[in-house]
Amino acid sequence: MSATSHAHDEAGQAPLVGSLGVDSRKLGLWAFIGSETLFFTALITTHLIFYARTKADLAAKGMLEHMDPKLYLGIDLTTILAAILLASSLTMVLALAATKSKEWPKFRFWLLATIVLGSAFVLGQVYEFTHLYHEGLKLAPQYVYEGETVKSLFGVTFFVMTGFHGLHVTLGVVWLIAVYFKVRRFAASPENPMDVELVGLYWHFVDLVWVAIFTLVYLI
Amino acid sequence: MAIAEQKLTSVSPATASSGSFPWRTWLATVDHKKIGIIYIVSAFVFFLLGGIEAMLMRVQLGTPNNTFLSADVYNQLFTMHATTMIFLMVMPMNVGIGNYVVPLMIGARDMAFPRLNALSIWLFLGGGLLLYLSFLTGGAPNGGWFAYAPLTQVQYSPTAGMDYWILGLGLTGIASIAGALNFIVTVLNMRAPGMSINRMPLFVWMNLVVSFIIIFAFPTFTVGSIQLLFDRQFGAAFFNPAQGGDAVLWQHLFWFFGHPEVYILILPVMGMISEILPVFSRKPIFGYSFVAFSGVGIGFLGFIVWAHHMFGVGMGPMANAFFAAASMVIAIPTGVKIFNWIATMWAGDVRLTTAMLYAIGFISMFIIGGISGITLASPPIDLQQTDTYYVVAHLHYVLFGGSILGLFAGAFYWFPKMTGRLLNERIGKIQFWLMMISFNITFFPMHIVGTEGMPRRIYTYEAGMGWDMWNFIETIGTFLLAFSVLIFIYNVLSSLRNGEVASNDPWDAATLEWTIPSPPPSYNFLHIPVVNSRRPLWDAKYPHAAGDDHHGPSSAPSQVRYEYTDEETEGAKDIHMPSLTFSPMIFSGGLTVASLGFIYINKDILGLPTRVAALGFILIGIVMVSIAIRGWILDSRKDSPYLSQHH
Amino acid sequence: MAEHATHDQHAESHESHSTRFYWMIGAILAVITAVEVAIFLVKDTIGHELFLAILFILSIAKGAGVVMYFMHLRGDARIFQLVFIVPFLLAVTLCLGFLTIFSHHVGIAG
Repeated sequence: MSATSHAHDEAGQAPLVGSLGVDSRKLGLWAFIGSETLFFTALITTHLIFYARTKADLAAKGMLEHMDPKLYLGIDLTTILAAILLASSLTMVLALAATKSKEWPKFRFWLLATIVLGSAFVLGQVYEFTHLYHEGLKLAPQYVYEGETVKSLFGVTFFVMTGFHGLHVTLGVVWLIAVYFKVRRFAASPENPMDVELVGLYWHFVDLVWVAIFTLVYLI
Repeated sequence: MAIAEQKLTSVSPATASSGSFPWRTWLATVDHKKIGIIYIVSAFVFFLLGGIEAMLMRVQLGTPNNTFLSADVYNQLFTMHATTMIFLMVMPMNVGIGNYVVPLMIGARDMAFPRLNALSIWLFLGGGLLLYLSFLTGGAPNGGWFAYAPLTQVQYSPTAGMDYWILGLGLTGIASIAGALNFIVTVLNMRAPGMSINRMPLFVWMNLVVSFIIIFAFPTFTVGSIQLLFDRQFGAAFFNPAQGGDAVLWQHLFWFFGHPEVYILILPVMGMISEILPVFSRKPIFGYSFVAFSGVGIGFLGFIVWAHHMFGVGMGPMANAFFAAASMVIAIPTGVKIFNWIATMWAGDVRLTTAMLYAIGFISMFIIGGISGITLASPPIDLQQTDTYYVVAHLHYVLFGGSILGLFAGAFYWFPKMTGRLLNERIGKIQFWLMMISFNITFFPMHIVGTEGMPRRIYTYEAGMGWDMWNFIETIGTFLLAFSVLIFIYNVLSSLRNGEVASNDPWDAATLEWTIPSPPPSYNFLHIPVVNSRRPLWDAKYPHAAGDDHHGPSSAPSQVRYEYTDEETEGAKDIHMPSLTFSPMIFSGGLTVASLGFIYINKDILGLPTRVAALGFILIGIVMVSIAIRGWILDSRKDSPYLSQHH
Repeated sequence: MAEHATHDQHAESHESHSTRFYWMIGAILAVITAVEVAIFLVKDTIGHELFLAILFILSIAKGAGVVMYFMHLRGDARIFQLVFIVPFLLAVTLCLGFLTIFSHHVGIAG
């Protein structure tokens, strides 16, 4: 690490590498990701608690199978969304690799691909939300399924949880675009690799949250 | 370290600069010392507001069947008193002192992220102002500081007060998380050469632990309050049992944050005590590693005891037993700290300065609060005492007798470093004794009325319950307590003007902040120090005792005020400090305005005009935030060596 | 790892993942996702417990792949591992603790 921070001094960059031998911004971002982990855990846990309750309620009334609110969630669209986000993680890491080897055309291609995939995910989620809304799932403590009203917080917990994930993806796309333009303008800046690495870490974390939501909400 | 020496009398404090107040250098500052002082001053103003709320409540409760306050106003006052004291007083006061002192203690020139630091202070102020704005706009929050559902649902709390509470605390919460990330990176990554983790002053240690607690505890509160906001604004019913929600879920989400929160309030103060006791006992802290690691232990255990606030809910014997046992285990690391502090004073050359008196006051009062806390950790006793004044007595012994007495110790200890003047010791000691006595007059009888069954949060009570005399005594105590705070204010104001000029090192202390001028220059250290021990300054002053565990009596404290010479100050011009920026303030102003709009986005107060105005506020907020982000990027470019040259 | 303005090869051996390596990880993660969906479609035939067990193992493998290789946590500075793994364990505690309490299981939380 000392060698690399020395290199920074030569490049005229104030050394951000500190007493622990790591980059300050990266340490801050990892700690922030730790904090966000608990944020999403609380949202997912709330969803699981109320979903278990809905299932128990329906079973008690003898209408379990066809009333399960999960039937709203189409597995096909969700799988596509999961694949899109996973692919964007791959393009993100490829963009970072291109930054490190200073292959700028490659970097631009992979970062733009990440931006496009991220936007596609957000649009897919908007489509999913409007679709569910028209099916009858609302941000309200009851939903209508096949003409019957079922009291359940499924819509509430689902929309709040996935909505906050979608918000994180949206902010991630904005951050990606900002990094794209900054790197394009200051191609020789020694800050570039860290800028890309930071947005990448955030992006992969958002993908990671989707891995959890995909399993715990859509599949189980 | 090259330093010029001048006699005290020949130097006037640097604060006495002529001309008008330099607003710009304060409002656009990114200097951790100035930000720390803004934190401290604003937290103190909130302390006075919270104190006034407490006095109003005590006047109401001084006599039975009193009609001084209505039940509604009383509810607003106890909610705002607790919210103010916890979120707007003790937390930011800890952060403020930490902001000022931590970078100095570890030999850094600033926090790791100076602009983020500025964002934290303005977001905290925005959140605090938003909370207090509610008094003028139809009613303050009135659901208690832990906002139990379903009392906080719209139908039971129809004013916008709880919305102000959610969004105001949301803003201060963002400020806290941003500040905590800043502390974590600063402490881990900005230490001077040789300042290894196990050489850090214990105040720095405790700030590190608390910062981790903040970033791990706040998210559940954020989630809970977002869900509550959805309940109130969009009818989501997360916590409304009538519609399938769960009121107990709020309690779990809240206390998963709320219990670590009490350690957020006390641990930094324990760190301050661990700095002050050794200095005024002229002995190194007894069992440094034990004090440090028991702080870490308290931090960890704090996350698995949350439900001991909820024994009254009826969680079942197994859950109760687990949370009771885990809570009692916390007494162990806490006891370790207390015994280490006592052992530090033992056989020391104790100097009873005001700071030391407050530190000893902290230990004695905290022991009482700790013991009543252990009784409350036992479910059978808790079921008797929960929601009585016994709990009020307990929490004031740990938060006032603990945190606030400790903060006064810190104030007397670091005031000379921050201002260049000493607080008056004689007035300080009078104030200390008045505060100690009146504190006990106010809060000790609450143990008695609590065990006699007086519930907390009632706005009045019948005569002849056996509570009349004690309540009257408590009210008298409150006024004495307020008077002691007035004495402190007088002490501060008069000492700022005419106080004894402080040397660099007026207490003969051991840590790095006392090696530089009082108050320090903007860059703190002309040369980043190299550290070889836990007590760098003592080792420099007393080389014969270096490494010796017993520091022993010394010569009189230094009477010399060090100033950098003109030549050296000239050299300091090469030290690059981040430039002034208004962007953090505009950013937090925008978020505050947008939050205010969000409160009214779905309220049927004046119909359409309200909603249009609310939408307008949100849009203005978004515009302000966008302007701030652009300005932030441009301002940060100025400090980037590469980007500033190739722009 | 932090800085790569100049590439210092001996200091960052773990950084030398080729783009081919990332493609491989991406392919494995895609296959895991496909298997997850496949067993979801046949979950009635394999039984609920087995379905859950397979699903959890696959998801943990997928998450671990993202964290270790895409986020480079494997082989990165210890402090990054600490500030991620500690809150992750706390999060697992939170989730399991809450689910236990809200199971209202008589004898444990009821």
